[in-house]
Amino acid sequence: MAPLKNLETEYPIIDSNFQNFCASHGIFSVEDFLIHDLYMLAAFAEQNVSSERLKEGITQILSIIDDMHQPWLNGMELLEDAKRNKHFLPTGIQGVDLLLGGGIRVGQLTELVGPSASGKTQVCLQTASNVARNYMMLYLDTGNSFSPQRIAYFLGKTNELASAQAKNQILQKVMSNILCHSVFDIFAMFDVLHQLESNLRCQERGGGCRIRLLIVDSISLLIAPVLGGTSTRGRALMASAGYLLKKLAHQHNLAVLVINHTVGSEGGTSKPALGDSWKSIPHSRLLLSCDRGSNVYNVSILKHPSMVCILLERIFSLSV
Amino acid sequence: MGSKAWLVEDESAREMLDRVLTERPFLLLPPLHRVPLRVGNIVEIVGPSPSAKTHILIQAAITCILPRQWKGVNYGGLGHLAMFLDLDCRFDISRFSDLLNHRIMEAANGSSSEVDCQIKESEAQNATTKPYNEELFASCMRRFLYIRCYDSSEFLATLKTLHYRLQKERETHGVNVHVLLIDSIGAFHWIDRGSSSFSLEGDTRKSLHLQSVTETVVQEIRKLLLVHPMLVMATKAAVLGNRYSMNDSKRNYRTWSAKDNLHSRNVTSSDQQVPYREYMPAVWQSLITHRILVRTTDADFVNGEHQNVSTYLSEWLLPPLNSVDKFIVRDTGVFVLS
Repeated sequence: MAPLKNLETEYPIIDSNFQNFCASHGIFSVEDFLIHDLYMLAAFAEQNVSSERLKEGITQILSIIDDMHQPWLNGMELLEDAKRNKHFLPTGIQGVDLLLGGGIRVGQLTELVGPSASGKTQVCLQTASNVARNYMMLYLDTGNSFSPQRIAYFLGKTNELASAQAKNQILQKVMSNILCHSVFDIFAMFDVLHQLESNLRCQERGGGCRIRLLIVDSISLLIAPVLGGTSTRGRALMASAGYLLKKLAHQHNLAVLVINHTVGSEGGTSKPALGDSWKSIPHSRLLLSCDRGSNVYNVSILKHPSMVCILLERIFSLSV
Repeated sequence: MGSKAWLVEDESAREMLDRVLTERPFLLLPPLHRVPLRVGNIVEIVGPSPSAKTHILIQAAITCILPRQWKGVNYGGLGHLAMFLDLDCRFDISRFSDLLNHRIMEAANGSSSEVDCQIKESEAQNATTKPYNEELFASCMRRFLYIRCYDSSEFLATLKTLHYRLQKERETHGVNVHVLLIDSIGAFHWIDRGSSSFSLEGDTRKSLHLQSVTETVVQEIRKLLLVHPMLVMATKAAVLGNRYSMNDSKRNYRTWSAKDNLHSRNVTSSDQQVPYREYMPAVWQSLITHRILVRTTDADFVNGEHQNVSTYLSEWLLPPLNSVDKFIVRDTGVFVLS
């Protein structure tokens, strides 16, 4: 919330006279203009001595406000952007890829929900190993579950026919494409994400290797401690985290995959954690479960922006 | 004489009615078909997540951007612009373009069900398909205007500059914006509540918290509707109350603190009357002229050979009609069952 006088050098119409006029109405920064009635302000400016200059100042502020929101797009422009940038990233797990129609969608926030030991981290590691062959990715690890050995194992399994040297090359490339950060609370995650955002903005101008996938394993471990109680700040943090992830996904063309766990609800069934306020934040929600003792996993769709068929499920087995 | 000229009539009442009904027609959009809507109405679509609320908005947008007639085929649309304010940031343009494409095909072919199922399989691996009628498709898509807002400041900035944007679009396209769609109005509720509400620098300075943001939003929408008459439709995610026994609805309600009572209507202690928990401040509730509640049911509807789609129920709360409609979402849009 920078004060108005900082704008004076760039916009000389916002001089001290204008600033005093605004201060008399309780406006000290551009953000204050957002919650004031600008037509009333113009009416007050009419009664002032230098009314023309003041009204020009208000018009200038309006054009500054016009820069404060995202650009307006029409349907064709949106569709062009979707075709060019928002493609699918295959996870390498056949069942998941078939279910999602290609893989995890770039530009969207996908949530994977499952009870404990249902294979969520395995799905993440398999996806990471598959995507990292071609793109860079960022893995935010909250529970020390990232395992380079597992990634190497998945790579070995899919490249069984290649020579040892080729296998080694692929392994080197994949390992250098995965950036892993350990975060143990939500504020550390905000730090990493803001850093990522400014890096991506710089990279946009300079080119270079771009991050395509962001995995947060698991976001519920970060958010659950701040939720609950009578304070609303926990939910505000959760909503802000969700919006930051969606903004990163859309503006910088990332696919974001977050992991959530389940809690019990009445009737003995289980439901995803983080409550109702989180329900409307991810684009797609997938439910993962596994039969005890076998390595057969079951993934189904809880919510998807394009699929309204609820009984779509796929059964797959992760090589163990 | 000059004063006599005042008394000459402009048009008769019948002529005026004809003119108004052509320029500002009533819209009967499924599943809101029971109550005809026109410009100046502000409709709130309430429901838990997910319950096809965004699909209802998309349906309205497509009806608005399709032309009434084009090259001899009757499409039944309005041929106006539609504006979509995406506060949830979850809009999927591919889904929108598929629905538009299917509507165009349906109107051109006269039949709906056969085309969906066959195309769906081949489309599954392919995110982009060639539109049925490229020229019409492109002209419709260009009449759909979209913006995302990632927080309340961006939302307020959009509303403040919307007047000039509407004028500019009217000049570019030659037609007005007929519908303004907001998805979903309570999106920044928790974030705004979390920001501090104590006043800074004495009483003269307002800060950006829930009450001031909502008051400004309501004020801007009212002013906009004076100059640019539009139909406003907003979705709102809500938690259903005890009247609907679903798994999600039975939960421990927080005790309302004294501060909350200032912001929202008092929920009656007998929750049987209240179908959902209202959390928007009273100033927003006073803006709404129509309200409809949608929710999903556990029943499935068999739509074609391999598809089971979920059924949704819709119920008008304002004006309160005592009927419940069932609808499903197909590839051509919302389809009312009963």
